[in-house]
Amino acid sequence: MYEYIIRRSVLLVFVLFGVSVITFYLSRGVPTAFNPCAPYITPKMPPSVVQAVCASHGFNDPLYLQYFYWIRDVFSGNWGIAGQWANGLPVYGVFAARFPYTVELALSAVVISVVVGLPLGILSAVRNNRPVDHAARIVALTGISTPVYWFGFILQLIFFYYFFQWGLPNLPNQGAVSLSAPHVTSYTGIPILDGLLNANWSYAWDAFIHVILPSITLAFASLGALTRLVRASMLEVLRQDYITLARSKGLSERIVIFRHALRNALIPALTVAGLLFAGLLGGAVITETVFNWPGVGYLSVQAVLQGDSNFVMLYTLVTALIVVVANLVVDVLYAVVDPRIRY
Amino acid sequence: MSDKKDVETAEPPKRSGQRAAYLDETKYAISLLVKNRLVLTGIFMSVFFVLVAIFATVIVDPSTANKFDFTNTYCWNGNLPSWGTQASICPTSFNYTLGSDGFGRNLLSMIILAIPLDLSIALEIVASALVIGIILGAVAAYAGGWVDELILRVTDIFFAFPFLILALVFAAVLGRTIPNLELAILLVWWPVYVRLIRGQMLSEKNKAYVEALRALGVSRTRTLFFHLIPNSIYPLLVQATLDIGGVILTFSALVFLGFSPSPALPELGNLAADGINQIFTAPWLLVIPGLVILLISLGFNLVGDGLRDVLDPRLRR
Repeated sequence: MYEYIIRRSVLLVFVLFGVSVITFYLSRGVPTAFNPCAPYITPKMPPSVVQAVCASHGFNDPLYLQYFYWIRDVFSGNWGIAGQWANGLPVYGVFAARFPYTVELALSAVVISVVVGLPLGILSAVRNNRPVDHAARIVALTGISTPVYWFGFILQLIFFYYFFQWGLPNLPNQGAVSLSAPHVTSYTGIPILDGLLNANWSYAWDAFIHVILPSITLAFASLGALTRLVRASMLEVLRQDYITLARSKGLSERIVIFRHALRNALIPALTVAGLLFAGLLGGAVITETVFNWPGVGYLSVQAVLQGDSNFVMLYTLVTALIVVVANLVVDVLYAVVDPRIRY
Repeated sequence: MSDKKDVETAEPPKRSGQRAAYLDETKYAISLLVKNRLVLTGIFMSVFFVLVAIFATVIVDPSTANKFDFTNTYCWNGNLPSWGTQASICPTSFNYTLGSDGFGRNLLSMIILAIPLDLSIALEIVASALVIGIILGAVAAYAGGWVDELILRVTDIFFAFPFLILALVFAAVLGRTIPNLELAILLVWWPVYVRLIRGQMLSEKNKAYVEALRALGVSRTRTLFFHLIPNSIYPLLVQATLDIGGVILTFSALVFLGFSPSPALPELGNLAADGINQIFTAPWLLVIPGLVILLISLGFNLVGDGLRDVLDPRLRR
């Protein structure tokens, strides 16, 4: 077991190295799209000074040397500075300040998809090939087939614009809190939590109504995959001998399903929910852009559009790290939970 | 070989037993597919969009995509109900069924012209990813050892990437043209197929018939291309069907995030992205092209989902 964890951790380092090399090559090897020197120069600098500044930061050196400089800086905690689009602040600080917003959105979306997707999946397995199953299938496949940005804007159109036109209380469509919201002490950086911790209920409420539309948008896309998976794993379990035994003992269908089948069927489903959350922590790039959500996904798109190599490097590495670690944890937990799995 | 002939002449069957079973199996699978109304709906939807794609240039004159009329932009005065927004009022002679877009063009015509483009983009990407996946996956499974390890580790790297951002970076580096965007999506799409076919072939290559082929003196290459690959390709075809929708969604997402090859290009994601700035004044411009993307994607997903159920004997009942 420990040997397995060590072997996987070595592979993890290898994967992160690969991710950083590919991203570095793409975002530094082609200076026309990404100018790594841009954050260090101002429009007023004469060309000769620009040359000197860029050279002093090593941007004229061969690419492998630049990669070496970058690694050296990262290990001393320096991820570089962002371009003018983020006021030239250190990228690590920019990232850390926005990450809680992404956590809030990802968490709300996962809660919604589990609360809706789990019962839907179970129901469609238990009522296999009945109308409920077909309806669940349509919902799930529609979720997978819907363009995320389109769905987000439809929600905005209905709950922000039309509700306003009809004189109904409408939901906000931009940002994580109102611009006019009072300033509260930040403990976690997560708006709803900060509002609650400050006992500032109106702030928490404001943050809550801001997260509704973005999290529904995000959940709708992942709901489908979760529903289909729960259904498949539930069908698999329901076909096993011990379920037949439970039924033949004369147990009621309710007890067979909730006591016996559900527990075993839930393991893969919760795994997927966990991996989903890990994936969403990388930022729901599209959803955050649609709702101007101040998370890291929105920032990463801005960074790519502005050609900011430093931010893109940090962002890809952190999200890749989250995904690989989540996968490792899941595999190890599987071995802990299921005695049949041995590594 | 002579033994086989003897057996066949000894008891002449109408069809060899195995082949008959295979045909029955296929017939049974098709009957299952068609019996399922949802799958049938999916087939009809997909066929409809493919037909529209084939005859698009017959239905609509392609040159209308280049005829801009900036006096009649964002019009909605057809016979359909109004959207309750401040749509521009345009001359009654200007009677477009689904309104006009930001270039004063007939939105319905633009959608019809966009469908072949979107479908061909999706087909090109999925087909290329399939070819790369089959070659690398088959090599990995068949060669084993360090080749297998190397290919797997490379797919690991690509699975760890935030895939939309990788595609965005790649598109930013290459430049905003349709082939470059296709390449960017392909770059993030192929590893899935490698994993799929590798897993499938690993279970396939230990089966008895492979040993029998070797005993018959069939070459390794022939075994690989004529027996192993065809036998492990079904799950890939299911995945490919499901992915056609996914690729169209991804392409339109790239366009939405700011990587449009050209603002006037009649492509579904591009038409929708054009409508975003007018979302509260001319909502149809986003709603209708987006709905078409949804329907195309849903059609292929319904077919793929049904195929998966039919091809997986465990899910049949």
